Amino acid sequence: MNDPSKPRQAVPVHVVGQFSWGLTILFVLASVCWVLLPYTGSTFSALVFLLAIVLAGTRWNRGPVLAMGVVSALVWNFIFIPPRFTFHIEKPEDVVMFAMFFVVALSMGHLITQLRERESALERTHREQEQLQEAKHRAELAAEAERLHRTLLDSVSHELKTPITIIRTALDGLGTSNPFAAEIDTATRRLQRIVENFLEITRVESDAVKPAPDWCEFLDVIHSATSPLQRELLPHPLRILGAENLPLLKLDSRLLSQALANVLHNATQHVPAGSEIEIHATLTPESALEIRVRDHGPGLPPEMEERVFEKFARAPGAPAGGTGLGLAISRGLMRAMKGDITVHNHPEGGAEFRFSLPVKTRQP
Amino acid sequence: MSKALIIDDEQQMRRLLRMLLESRGYEVCEADEGQRGLQEAAFHRPDVVLLDLGLPGLGGLEVLKRLREWSDVPVLILSVRDQEATKVQALEIGADDYVTKPFGSAELLARLDVIQRRRGPRHTPEIIAGPLKVDLLHHEAQIAEEALKLTPTEFALLKVLTEHAGRIVTQNQIVKQVWPGQSSDPSEGLRVHINHLRKKLGERGVRIVNEPGIGYRLEVE
Repeated sequence: MNDPSKPRQAVPVHVVGQFSWGLTILFVLASVCWVLLPYTGSTFSALVFLLAIVLAGTRWNRGPVLAMGVVSALVWNFIFIPPRFTFHIEKPEDVVMFAMFFVVALSMGHLITQLRERESALERTHREQEQLQEAKHRAELAAEAERLHRTLLDSVSHELKTPITIIRTALDGLGTSNPFAAEIDTATRRLQRIVENFLEITRVESDAVKPAPDWCEFLDVIHSATSPLQRELLPHPLRILGAENLPLLKLDSRLLSQALANVLHNATQHVPAGSEIEIHATLTPESALEIRVRDHGPGLPPEMEERVFEKFARAPGAPAGGTGLGLAISRGLMRAMKGDITVHNHPEGGAEFRFSLPVKTRQP
Repeated sequence: MSKALIIDDEQQMRRLLRMLLESRGYEVCEADEGQRGLQEAAFHRPDVVLLDLGLPGLGGLEVLKRLREWSDVPVLILSVRDQEATKVQALEIGADDYVTKPFGSAELLARLDVIQRRRGPRHTPEIIAGPLKVDLLHHEAQIAEEALKLTPTEFALLKVLTEHAGRIVTQNQIVKQVWPGQSSDPSEGLRVHINHLRKKLGERGVRIVNEPGIGYRLEVE
């Protein structure tokens, strides 16, 4: 392929091949014409050469074709124009013939290769346009599919959340002093959590999560993670370490706080009331944010360290009411942000979740 | 007595909101779709509008846009969409605040109170929010009777937030008022100044709360 964007390099192998083929063909044709010369005369051989050049021009590059033109003119002069086997030409009409042959051979070679080159360039543009069209079409289809998907998610979200809103507003009006109403309240909150988890895992799995990093303070992230969990976190003192030393961070704080909230919620479900939960944030030398969330519960059963992030994974003995989706969502969100989350048991007991996230930083 | 207009397509939602608002002394009118909502707004001249974003036909954003062409009635957005971009859009078209369904009644009523308190011409050069006092005449601010040492940018920032005390202000709205005419993205600078301002405000009953992807809210305890 002739790629104009690439700098010209050494002559490609196939062009060298064309040069040698060209010379070989001229040699063969010259020999044949030499044999036939007594019957045909020298004009015949000139036409045979021209035909060879025209044919070569339809397939080969310009260089070899023009070379064939020059060589054939010389060969014709050398062998077929008297006096033979010299480049000397005696008769003036032969000089004119030779000059004409020379010009015709060169211009034929030139014109034909040019024509062919234009044709192939045209074809190439055409093909590129077709590919472009196809790519555009594909992109449009994908965008349309994504839009449909989002609309569907939005309307499902609307349909599921509206009745929950109605129940909660009605309960607020009723007051939860009646123990039956209090039960409805608890169940509604649980239902709300389940619905939100299902919607979120759908978003995560369909790649509908698009991180939008912006500058933020780590304490804001903690605040947005903990404020929807006030009830659950009430029996667990929260200790936040290292946050005041962190610079401004560029990350999607909504996604990170959601990932964090799920882990915190998970911790509150597995540890005894009154036990502390620690959040320790540091910046690694590779400018990744590392957050460790450690609880003082029983820790993870063996071999659950990877499995807890699977969908619907439930540790044996986990309290009823979880969806088994929270941690899967956390991992999905972290990975959507090019980060990750892992967990292991702390040597001194309790589980420790470790979030890592590459971030840009700036000293406040 | 305040008059509230509810524009929501869910009948049950309207009925409940009506009960809730009437129990708080509101006079309530309602509309089940956008066009009718606009008519009701023109006819009843409500003091506050509760607008659902997910309306069939004329969508919530469009209703808001048309309403804002002739009215500056406080508007509270009710939304189930937790997509931040939509909320920011609504706020920048002119909504005053939003609650995301499912919301608590207390939260809804508190937001309604706050957005009705705003507006109206200011008769004094002072804005007061709880223990915070911003003196626009002398470019001074006090918290709990103690003068705050602020840079001009911090003062401008505090002024915007205090004017909207209790209400959300989007990042763009802040930037437009504090750095008018700035074209580059000053979100980083904004965080830095917010950070300084927070430190100066300390723990004295006024907090600047960040709502991720949306903006800031000055909360008075």
